[in-house]
Amino acid sequence: MQLISYTFVIFWMLVFALYYLVPKKVQWYVLLGASVLFYMIGLRGIPVGLFLTGLTTYGCGIYLGRKLSQEKEALKQCAGKEEKRAVKAAFQKKRKRVQILYIVFNLGLLVFYKYAVLAVPVMERYTGSRPDFLTRVIMPLGISFYTLTAIGYIVDAGRENCAVESSFLKVLLFLAYFPSVTQGPFTRFKQMREQFEQEHVFQYERMLRGVQRFVWGAFKKLVIADRIGIFVDQVYGVEAASVPGSIFACATALYMLQLYADFSGYIDMAAGVSETLDITLPDNFKRPYFAGSVAEFWRRWHITLGGWFKDYVMFSFVMSGIGRKIGKACRNKGNGPGRHAVPIIGTMLVWFFTGLWHGRTINYMLWGLYYGVIMSISLIMEPAFAGWKAKLHIKEGRGWALFCMARTWMIVFAADVLIRSESLAKAGSIFVSFVTRLQPGRLLSSAVTAYGLSRYDFILLFFALLIWLSVSLLEERGLDVRSVIADRPVVVRWFCYYGIVLLLLITGIYGGSYDTAAFMYQSF
Amino acid sequence: MEEKILEILEEHCEEALDYEGDSMMEDGVIDSFTVINVVSDLEDEFDIEIDAKYVVAENFRNKEAIIALVQKLLEE
Repeated sequence: MQLISYTFVIFWMLVFALYYLVPKKVQWYVLLGASVLFYMIGLRGIPVGLFLTGLTTYGCGIYLGRKLSQEKEALKQCAGKEEKRAVKAAFQKKRKRVQILYIVFNLGLLVFYKYAVLAVPVMERYTGSRPDFLTRVIMPLGISFYTLTAIGYIVDAGRENCAVESSFLKVLLFLAYFPSVTQGPFTRFKQMREQFEQEHVFQYERMLRGVQRFVWGAFKKLVIADRIGIFVDQVYGVEAASVPGSIFACATALYMLQLYADFSGYIDMAAGVSETLDITLPDNFKRPYFAGSVAEFWRRWHITLGGWFKDYVMFSFVMSGIGRKIGKACRNKGNGPGRHAVPIIGTMLVWFFTGLWHGRTINYMLWGLYYGVIMSISLIMEPAFAGWKAKLHIKEGRGWALFCMARTWMIVFAADVLIRSESLAKAGSIFVSFVTRLQPGRLLSSAVTAYGLSRYDFILLFFALLIWLSVSLLEERGLDVRSVIADRPVVVRWFCYYGIVLLLLITGIYGGSYDTAAFMYQSF
Repeated sequence: MEEKILEILEEHCEEALDYEGDSMMEDGVIDSFTVINVVSDLEDEFDIEIDAKYVVAENFRNKEAIIALVQKLLEE
């Protein structure tokens, strides 16, 4: 069941009604029932993978809780610092062993489901027969999201950054919460449990704000992302040699917007649904194309994934025994670039895993390494860049900010060619086309309308993007656009609301000859 | 102790000294690279071990929170 379907809207209305009708203490049971039902409808089967992760997460959490209590009791009996240190180390070792077992099991499930399909041709080549059991493996809905969310909870429980949950059903609700189970955002147990346990009273204003955010997300998805998708699919679908570089450049620039509109559209819809239920989901986007550097771009794009990798991969590595040893050895060698060795290794690890998490092709791995290398170079070269800037008398201002933004767009642009191309060879041909046959004049000719979008579509897209840009600029200034509209006179207010709904209904890409496209991040 | 912590912060991230909010990491004042460098300098300076569990936004929300963290670890 897609979030953008009539079936989902009916489902949402029923859940909403039931949620506020039942006694406040059992509201979370409604969410749990709705989440399991939503998941089973989406999966069309019994969610074995989700239950396995839920059970192991619950069990591991309980074990960690017990060991932490035992450790506290044992520490009370200790006399000196040395003894305390030894007791701590012994308990930590026990906890770590179980945590590693848990992570290996759950990451193993994720890797199996995600990469089983790649093993089919390899096994066929070596055994001579097609491994039927592997071809029947279907990746469980949202496994990439709920697995990382679950691991986050276990690491936090071990670090005592959140209390251990004693109810299996609450752990299951945390993993399967229906607005975020398929595409995130990644949530933290501490913040979600507090909200699940609160009593929620119906508020008309809140419901309205949630619906507004849902409609805004649908607008981005149906009017912008799916319309751009038609053009991008057609351009990238043909032989690279037959398309001029300028058309590829245009398609890639639009693809950057498509990915953003699609994913942030989903997040707005999920957050809107959740808001009507009085559950706040964390922000996942903060207008990333206004970023002045790649590091800033990734602090604004898929924020919760970045936060997950920072807390559970980067810091875990840096603060580990091996991370500390490398750090100390490099710092002892002076104040040169070597002092950045640990952050750089951490960054490369993070980006290698980010690439793996996103896709199963070599293009995604290179995409991850590309960002890792760029971030590492930025870190090492930071003092040199500052020196050049001073020497060239470059002053901070609008011009400089625009230059930095454009530089970030170019870096993201190159990365997106890599992930949008179905093979490395195709990506290479596209890069070559930018140099050898750019033919910029073709962009102004009728050639641009030969890829599925009419002149009318481009004009419509232009105005839709203009609306989106205006909203983003207001948000960038710190304004809450929904509140700004709510404060306007009733005529202006309803003009805005009905305008967006009408645009959505009339110009959205759905029905007729088109099917609503699945959300892009669902495949990650 | 406070002076030394502020010196370390000044070396890696001057803006942190003037920051008056309470979410330095989320506001982009201090990024993860800076956090790592600050942590390793604090460990060397005060002969303490800052475990990954302490490297959370809450403990790096502003300079006062960092001072409180070091104080707590020294007392442990």
